[in-house]
Amino acid sequence: MNISNYLNKKQDSSSLAIFRLGFGFLMLFSVIRIWYKGWIKELYIDPSFHFSYYGFEWIKPIGDYTYLIFLICGISSFCVAIGYKYRISIILLFLSFTYAELMDKTTYLNHYYLVSLISFLMIFFPANASFSLDNLINKKSYRIIPKWNVDALKLMICIVYFYAGIAKINTDWLMDAQPLKIWLTSKYDLPIIGNKFFQMDLVHIFFSWAGMFYDVFISFILLYRRTRPFGFFLVITFHIMTAIFFPAIGMFPYIMITSSIIFLEPETHKKLLNKCFTLFKKFFKKISIVEVYNYKRPKITQIVLIFFFIIQLVFPFRYFLYPGELFWNEQGYRFSWRVMLIEKKGFTEFKIVDRETSNSFYVLNENFLTEFQVRQMSFQPDFILEFAHYIGDYYNNNGYSDVEVYAESYVTLNGRTSKLFVDPNVDLMKEKRGFSNKKWITRLEDEIKGF
Amino acid sequence: MKHLYIKFFLIILVIVSCSKDSDEGYSQTNTQSNVQTSTNTNTGTSTSASTGTSTSASTGTSTSASTGTSTIGTSTGSSSSQGDTFDRGSILSNYSDNIIIPRYNTFKSSMDNLKNSIETFVSNPNSENYDTFQNNWIDSYKKWQYVEVFNINKAEEIMYGLKMNTYPVGKERIDNNIQEGKTDLTNPNDWAAQGFPALDYMLHGIAQTKDEIIELYNTDAKYGNYLTTLSSTMNENTIQVVDDWTTYKDVFNSSFDNSATSAFNMMVNDFVFYFEKGLRTNKIGIPAGRFSNDPLPDRIEAYYYSKNSFGNLSKTLALEARKGFEELFLGQNSNGTEGASYKSYLDYLETDIGSSVQTKLILAKDAIESLDDNFLTQIAENNIAMLLAFDALQTIVVNLKTDMLSNFNIAVDYTDADGD
Repeated sequence: MNISNYLNKKQDSSSLAIFRLGFGFLMLFSVIRIWYKGWIKELYIDPSFHFSYYGFEWIKPIGDYTYLIFLICGISSFCVAIGYKYRISIILLFLSFTYAELMDKTTYLNHYYLVSLISFLMIFFPANASFSLDNLINKKSYRIIPKWNVDALKLMICIVYFYAGIAKINTDWLMDAQPLKIWLTSKYDLPIIGNKFFQMDLVHIFFSWAGMFYDVFISFILLYRRTRPFGFFLVITFHIMTAIFFPAIGMFPYIMITSSIIFLEPETHKKLLNKCFTLFKKFFKKISIVEVYNYKRPKITQIVLIFFFIIQLVFPFRYFLYPGELFWNEQGYRFSWRVMLIEKKGFTEFKIVDRETSNSFYVLNENFLTEFQVRQMSFQPDFILEFAHYIGDYYNNNGYSDVEVYAESYVTLNGRTSKLFVDPNVDLMKEKRGFSNKKWITRLEDEIKGF
Repeated sequence: MKHLYIKFFLIILVIVSCSKDSDEGYSQTNTQSNVQTSTNTNTGTSTSASTGTSTSASTGTSTSASTGTSTIGTSTGSSSSQGDTFDRGSILSNYSDNIIIPRYNTFKSSMDNLKNSIETFVSNPNSENYDTFQNNWIDSYKKWQYVEVFNINKAEEIMYGLKMNTYPVGKERIDNNIQEGKTDLTNPNDWAAQGFPALDYMLHGIAQTKDEIIELYNTDAKYGNYLTTLSSTMNENTIQVVDDWTTYKDVFNSSFDNSATSAFNMMVNDFVFYFEKGLRTNKIGIPAGRFSNDPLPDRIEAYYYSKNSFGNLSKTLALEARKGFEELFLGQNSNGTEGASYKSYLDYLETDIGSSVQTKLILAKDAIESLDDNFLTQIAENNIAMLLAFDALQTIVVNLKTDMLSNFNIAVDYTDADGD
């Protein structure tokens, strides 16, 4: 089979439609949930300082208008779900959600990154080809769409699973069953299993290995036709289990379960949708059905997607460029599908030294940060550096002219006793933010073998 | 076969909608830390205190019904935990039965004595009555160090700790309140105008000498009136908190699930927060100038007592606080009998952090004991020793906030986190 043959392959448009519906409504639910829990105010409006991604410092919460961003996000999610003015809605969803995500990296979550990526991909697909409000407005729908549309979405999900899987192939995860040992032991309050099985070393080991095998192989199980029903069953079981064991992971299980629907047979998608749409059937009867959806300029879309996926495949391995232990220095850790891999807690305070008088004092973090921000800042080097610069600048603008900033930082990783995290003799004001190696992070002095 | 998918899908929908409520519990506990934040500069307000049943000394007619031993569910030490279980509830019941409630009872009876002596002094301000009042203030203040940590339920609700021991004291505010004859101190601006620091000011700060002070009470009834207000406010708040424990105890003992709102988790948070802020930062750190350019000696606990050379209490209070903390960590009642505790839980989790903290607490005791009884003298003459005592406490804070919290994996996150 050559490439042009493949690119001409078609699939029923209901596959995209069902994904669009699931994704849209799930996003709508996510936004309502964030709003309802008061997180917009708590995470984006209340804090006086926000941790930015390097290069995205210009993206900040915009006071009370931050609600507007989430409002746009919610409305566009709904429009995406019902397929109303789809193209503009999905672009708005992508922009508003990504903007919200970039406002403060304290709230970084892998699955929100996934949402950004999926909504980006969805911009390029005619997910409103059928079962959408746009069909009724334009009086036409499309029966089939290019198969590579659906495959791109599948590839995205496969990358997430597979990369998350190989990231678990390391000695902490497989040999010491960390951090599951800590996490499961602390779930003693789960009925029946909590205070018995979850206290057993063997159970920790079992779940570690099972989790690794699941992540590595689930893509293949879902892709292969004969194992697909079993695979989908696994997806549901696994993610419902994680939702029960780790309620704090929030939307993650539901996003993965919903996304996995794309792997089902096209006929199943169609059948499901037809069932759901029986009430609306009479509206759809009046519209004309076009056989094939054709891209006006398919090449451009395909090139964009190829670049997109090359980046996706390579980017998670950027940690190879940095010396030292990835879990310790976290250089190249985010945006790489490293999910639930480390249990890390830190304690970090900063010393301000006035260069002129050599007077010094320590900063009370809570004068500048929320408790949640302090917790996240305390064990992540880029947060530590960014905050050091922020308070250094603050004091330079408030009565001092040229201060040095030193960190006193201790971190524990996967159950190891806490140890010094930042070289206490390095003036962090002299260290530049960016992608260069952070030499001022101490060495872990312990080897974690594996990916 | 095809219908199987549909069934799966429906099952998901049902489960998703049902399991929504169990999503991360929303934590209220972080209010404590935010209350304290001062504005911009490096100063930092302080509220402090610690807890502990006073050793035996002074009045202390211990009503504590001499706690029975609690031996429930202690750990098996460093041996393998496989298949073992640990009863977290036993920590709570040991704490409430053998530590919290006895400590509160002891504290309350010392507060009763204090109240009586204040009444006597106000009706007849003379030297003898002054001395009794002063002694009772010292006794209660020491016993207060053993209960401030329990910022939970009623205590948290009425901001008990902040009302009892916010220092530095609001001198101007008190002077105003005295002149206005204020009797309602519920306004947050009055937190620094009541409690033990306010009594310190009323005892040692409104004039330079004992005679002058007694004279003030004799000539102007406003002073006595405010003293009565302080005393009754403190007693009312104490009665509320202590009485609440009679009903709250059962709730407390059974609330040991790992959720942001469980008593178990809130206690751990209070415990760590108290050691970091109440003890380390407020009693030693801020006065020693660790968080400011220069030392701030007027931020010590019981400041006016030392300032006007009546005596010294700050070091004693710091030592009592440390002792109260140590006993709580080890699950010891006032007789030294041990029960289930954070230490035994850490041992069960096969980490040596518990022993490490235990050792460091003794080192911290030595460091504080080596200080001058008068913190003002110590800070003025050799502040380095103060900072060394701070460091001795700091190393414990590190273990508590990183290692202990990591091992307990206490759910405090009120936002999503997928563990990265």
